[in-house]
Amino acid sequence: MAAHWFEQRERGSALLIGLMRTIALKGGRRVAGLLLWPITLYFYATAGSARTALARYYEAQGERPTTRLLFNHYLTFARTILDRVYLLARRSDAPPLRVRGFEAVQEWLDRGQGCVLLGAHLGSFEAARAAGLRHEGLKMQIIMEQNVSRKLNKVLSVLDPGAAETTVGLGGPLALLRVRDTIAAGGLAGIMGDRLTAAQAGYAAEFFGRKCLFPLAPLRLAGSLRAPVFFFAALYRRSVDGAAYYEVVFEPLAAPAPEGAARRKWLQDLGARYVACLQRYCRMAPDNWFNFYDFWSTHPLGDLHARAAGKPACDGGNLDGAGLAARRGAQRAP
Amino acid sequence: MTEQTEFERELAVMLVTSLNLSQDPAAIAPDAPLFREGLGLDSIDMLEIALAVSKQYGVELRADDPDNQTIFSSLRALAAVIAARRTGM
Repeated sequence: MAAHWFEQRERGSALLIGLMRTIALKGGRRVAGLLLWPITLYFYATAGSARTALARYYEAQGERPTTRLLFNHYLTFARTILDRVYLLARRSDAPPLRVRGFEAVQEWLDRGQGCVLLGAHLGSFEAARAAGLRHEGLKMQIIMEQNVSRKLNKVLSVLDPGAAETTVGLGGPLALLRVRDTIAAGGLAGIMGDRLTAAQAGYAAEFFGRKCLFPLAPLRLAGSLRAPVFFFAALYRRSVDGAAYYEVVFEPLAAPAPEGAARRKWLQDLGARYVACLQRYCRMAPDNWFNFYDFWSTHPLGDLHARAAGKPACDGGNLDGAGLAARRGAQRAP
Repeated sequence: MTEQTEFERELAVMLVTSLNLSQDPAAIAPDAPLFREGLGLDSIDMLEIALAVSKQYGVELRADDPDNQTIFSSLRALAAVIAARRTGM
């Protein structure tokens, strides 16, 4: 069984990633693209449980997980990582971005209202950020788990040191006030809504016909920010002539959250819309799914909570009444 | 457990209301930690509290606030920070 994503080790060494960065910049996208084949083959051949988990993702969609399909999936992943080099370095050989649906976001921004972008590990967030950077003066912040892909991010950060400033870790008690400030200044805050961490509570939703747990915290954060919420993704696509481009999509999910008791219904609706949207884009570009672990595994609320027994749950909650009550009930001071 | 002062009680009611807690405000120990241990609130709850504090008392808490490590160490600490900074209520 595949380890959960937060238990997986980052593969690849900083030295080799650095070497690849140099080749990518000096040799150009075509040369580096050729190198991706043997690199992908290595990672594919040694992937083990991650590959099994990926096969399950295709089976859930009614697709037979052939070697060709799975290998291509890995290749798409490798290509989006290579493209990060060109996007971060703002090189002209970076694939073009085709943006769709940003007008609705722009309407809010024009009125000075910041927006929350709820994304997933689907496609390239670097391409999504690049799309945002085209808007002169637009404040952007991406909230992410900073312990993931640390080596990769460190090697890439030299290309655009400013990009690191647009990411916020979920650190101290008031770290999220920075995100509130971005929203208040009429900017965009990007949050990932698909991965459940240890000691987090989730809400259940049907994903490709199977019950699955999604993290509640991103929805709660979107609610507390009282800003309109949009789905976003930057999908790696190829046109008929084989040329790569990124399809950057935005779709409205919810109006700013209401206060008080109406908030729960707002969270439920947002969760349902988000998962439906995610599923739709997975169908459209299945090889952009970059969650290489058993996504339907139910264990975060099971043994991980048991492992954290004795400590109250943090960053979580459940959408149904009983779950919420249980979470709050567990919070009584000793 | 020590007794809540009048202002701590008022603040406890605000916490319970703004976070939709099922808890009795009077039962919040004034010296128990609010963040993580103790009440077990998370950073999103802290954001919600900071917004409520700003709305109700006109006191702005900031991400780079020098008191951040202590502000949420207890209901008492939070009450002290607000009382020290609030402007003409």
